[in-house]
Formats: sequence, C-alpha cells, structure tokens
Amino acid sequence: MEPALAARGLVKQYSRVRAVDGIDVDVAAGERVALLGPNGAGKTTTLLMLLGAITPDEGTVQVLGHRLPGARQAAMAEVGFAAGYLPLAERLRVGEFLDFYAKLYGVARPKQQAEEGLERFGIGYLRSALGSELSSGQKTLVSIVKATLHRPRLLVLDEPTASLDPDVADRVRSGLLTYAASEGAAILVTSHNMAEVEQLAQRVMFVRAGRVVADDTPAKVAALYGRENLEGVFLHLAREP
Amino acid sequence: MTTTEPTTRRLHGSWGRIGAVAKRHAVILLRTPHRLFDVTLWPMVDVMLFGTLAVYASRISGAGEVVISYVLGGAVLWHIVYQSSIGLSTGFLEETWTRNLLNLMVTPISELEYVTGVALFGLVKIAFGLALASLGALAAYSFELGSVGWTLLPAAAVLLVIGWAIGFFVIGLVLRFGTGAEAMAWGVLFVVMPLSGTFTPVENLPGGLQPVARLLPTTHVFTAVRTGVDGGGIDWNEIGIAAALTAVALAGGLWWLTAMLKVFRRRGYVTRYS
Repeated sequence: MEPALAARGLVKQYSRVRAVDGIDVDVAAGERVALLGPNGAGKTTTLLMLLGAITPDEGTVQVLGHRLPGARQAAMAEVGFAAGYLPLAERLRVGEFLDFYAKLYGVARPKQQAEEGLERFGIGYLRSALGSELSSGQKTLVSIVKATLHRPRLLVLDEPTASLDPDVADRVRSGLLTYAASEGAAILVTSHNMAEVEQLAQRVMFVRAGRVVADDTPAKVAALYGRENLEGVFLHLAREP
Repeated sequence: MTTTEPTTRRLHGSWGRIGAVAKRHAVILLRTPHRLFDVTLWPMVDVMLFGTLAVYASRISGAGEVVISYVLGGAVLWHIVYQSSIGLSTGFLEETWTRNLLNLMVTPISELEYVTGVALFGLVKIAFGLALASLGALAAYSFELGSVGWTLLPAAAVLLVIGWAIGFFVIGLVLRFGTGAEAMAWGVLFVVMPLSGTFTPVENLPGGLQPVARLLPTTHVFTAVRTGVDGGGIDWNEIGIAAALTAVALAGGLWWLTAMLKVFRRRGYVTRYS
C-alpha cells in the first residue's frame, strides 16, 4: 500500500531565518504520527509545505502517491485539513459551510455526509447555527467535521484541540481515533498537549530549529532522552540551549 | 460512524466547485446588507451625481440633450467595469477578511475554478447594478440606455472583460503586498475612470495624459459609445482597438496574478491569513 506521505529534504528559508532545514516526513497508510516541537520549531511551515500551500525551497513531497505541486488537486481530494487557529465563515450556517466544502471535494450527497459528520462528533444540533454564533470549541469541532466530510485517507491537523475544554478535546480525540480506525486513514497532527499526543499518535517526530531530532514511538523517544513521558522530552528540548 | 457506503466521492467536476463558490458568495452578500451598497446605492449615487452635472453643463453650454446622453451613457456603462472588477477583487478579499484562504488552498479547487466561480457570481451583481443605474437614469433624466444602439452589446462585453483584467491585477497586488493593498480594489478604478474619457472625449484631458488615455481599452469603448449615441452605428474600428487592448490587458492581468500566486506560495504569505 502506498504511503500516505513521503517528503524528502524539505527546506524553507524566510529571509534570514531557516524555518525548515532538511526535514524528511514519512507517514505510512493508516499510521498516526505527531509532529512536535516548541513554538517556531518549523512544524506549521512543514505542514503547509506538505499540503502544497507553501512551496519548499528544496525537497520533494508525495501525498498518497501524488507528487506536489503538479498533482496538487488529486492529492488534496484525498486529504482533510483542520487547524485550531482557523476561523469559520461567520455568515454561513454550519450546514451551508459543510455543504460548500463537500461540493469542493466532489462529495456525493453532500447534505447527508454533512449530517453524518455532525452526528459523528455529537454536534448535529449545530447544523442551523451561524458561524458567528458558535463558541471557539464548537468552531473547532465543525472544522474537524469539514476535514472528514470526504472521507480522506490522510488527515492533517494543526493543533486541533488548542482551544477546547477537556471534555470537548476528549470527544475530538475519540472521534478522530474512531475515524482513523474505521476508514484506515492516516493522521499527521501537531499539538502542544503531550498527554493528547500519547493517546493519539503511534509515532512522534520532534522538531527543533527546523530539524528532526527524534523520530520513534512515544515510549522510545521518552526513553531516548531519559524522561518519563513526552512532556519531559518537550521541556528538555524547549529549554536546551 | 457509517462505513458501509462504498464511496462518497463523485466527480462533480469543475462546475460543481465553481457553482459552490458562486453560491457561497451570493449567500454571504445577502447576509451582509452593507455590501449591497455596491450594487444598490453607488449606481444610484453615480447616476444622480453625473446626471445633475450633465444637466447643468447642458443648460449653460446650450449643447442640448447630447451632453446628458454622453455623460449618463458613460456613468451607467462604467458600472459594468466597476461591478466586474469589484466583484472579482472583493470576492477574493472576502477570503482574506475571513482568513479562509488556507482552508481553500488545501481543497481540490483550482485557481481557475475559484476565479470563475467568483466572476460568475459577479455577473449577477453586474446585472443588478446595471439595471438599477439604467432605471435611475431613465426615471430621473429620461435617459434610455437603448439610445446607445447596438454598440451597447460589444461595448458591454469588452467592459466586462476589462473589469476582470483589473480585478486580476488587484488580486495579484493583495497576494503580493497583503491586505494593505486592498484599497487598490477601488483606487485603480478611480484612476482609470477619468483617464478613459468615460463622460467626454479624451481631447478634454490635459495634453500630457491624452496619449496615456489612448492606451486604455476603456477609452476606445466610450468613444464608440458616443458614436452610438450620435446615431453613427457601431464604430467597429474603436471596438476592435478596444478588444485588442483588452486582450493584452487580460493576458497581462493573468500573467501578473499567476506570478504573484507563485510568490505567495514561495514566500509562505498564506500565514498572513491564518
């Protein structure tokens, strides 16, 4: 089975800052991987290069066998993306917002898919609400529904639970795990919540100053740095000069 | 979770995505009453402003109705350029205002499909704005747009495309320089309008500006419109020059937009909107 993601030698320089410095990313089909690191480590730039939104200075990206940037449309048809920091369209109702994206993805029966997606995350009652009427947690949930509408084989999530209370965050994690298991989808996620990462990810990649400094299972990465858990590893890497 | 359905994907193709973009912008417009000003209030304000000036100029010069027809013909037809350009550029700006660009960039929609959807939605705004301006001119000054004659059709078509070319240029500016450049969406039009001899022949412009004016396709369209008002039929010479210059402007606009999109992706400017 083809890998969900295969990126080689990604480099991105912003004027004098080398945001990403030769990163390789491999995500197997159905695998759940977390990309971790302190603020400014290069995680979001890496994600955006993997999604074709930023052109790398060097390196290659293949998404589900589609080489970017040439096959971007075919690749994005099989990828779902959600980010905790992206707002929802304020003047659209949730149902309209999901219907719009379902049509962009070419989903058959977009209304039915939107309905199923809302129920999957327990927010069917929001279908008629305007984006401006939602709490930040509800907006995040709707954006995750949007990301899974077309049943993508790869989910890319940038800090998906950043603004959620523990209850809603737990529902999101459960929903994502159920989705990944039932659809055989791969997940690439960034998060600053290490407990969440230990629950979600089978493998973690720690990034620091634009380079991958550790890449293994959460337990092995913690052991590598002589820490009890990923939180300890994170603090060690963030504070190390 | 439902897993029994064999596939949820069906290739609606480009038209499904184009239609979705057009519908979304239409819904947002209807839910944002102040943005309806562009298609309701401004056409009427323009007609009243320029109509009043034309009536006054007509009376003091003794030139008669033809002055009113020149000025109001120009004012009403200018709204094709205005709505066409503003529809495209503010359609794109909507994505920057709502920080929706990244959401769109990670879907299968192509740049061409997106622009086509916004332009399609813009056609509705043009029809609405033009209808209101025409009715306003008829009601207030008894000016019939039909008095331009058959020139109206090729002139409208060329003005529509010129508006798109300006819209592409403005979107390119916003991609490159960020939302600080959004004032150009309106600013470019305010520069082009007086240079185009929209209301009077370009011979009335200061001498140094006349060669510049003659390089603009809009100038040749409005010259043809005045020929039509004078009963001279379709001035194919001026329409032909306008069409050729419009083709150049459109190609230039598309080149600029494509080049700025590459810069946008290369420099990671999408993070400005996320």
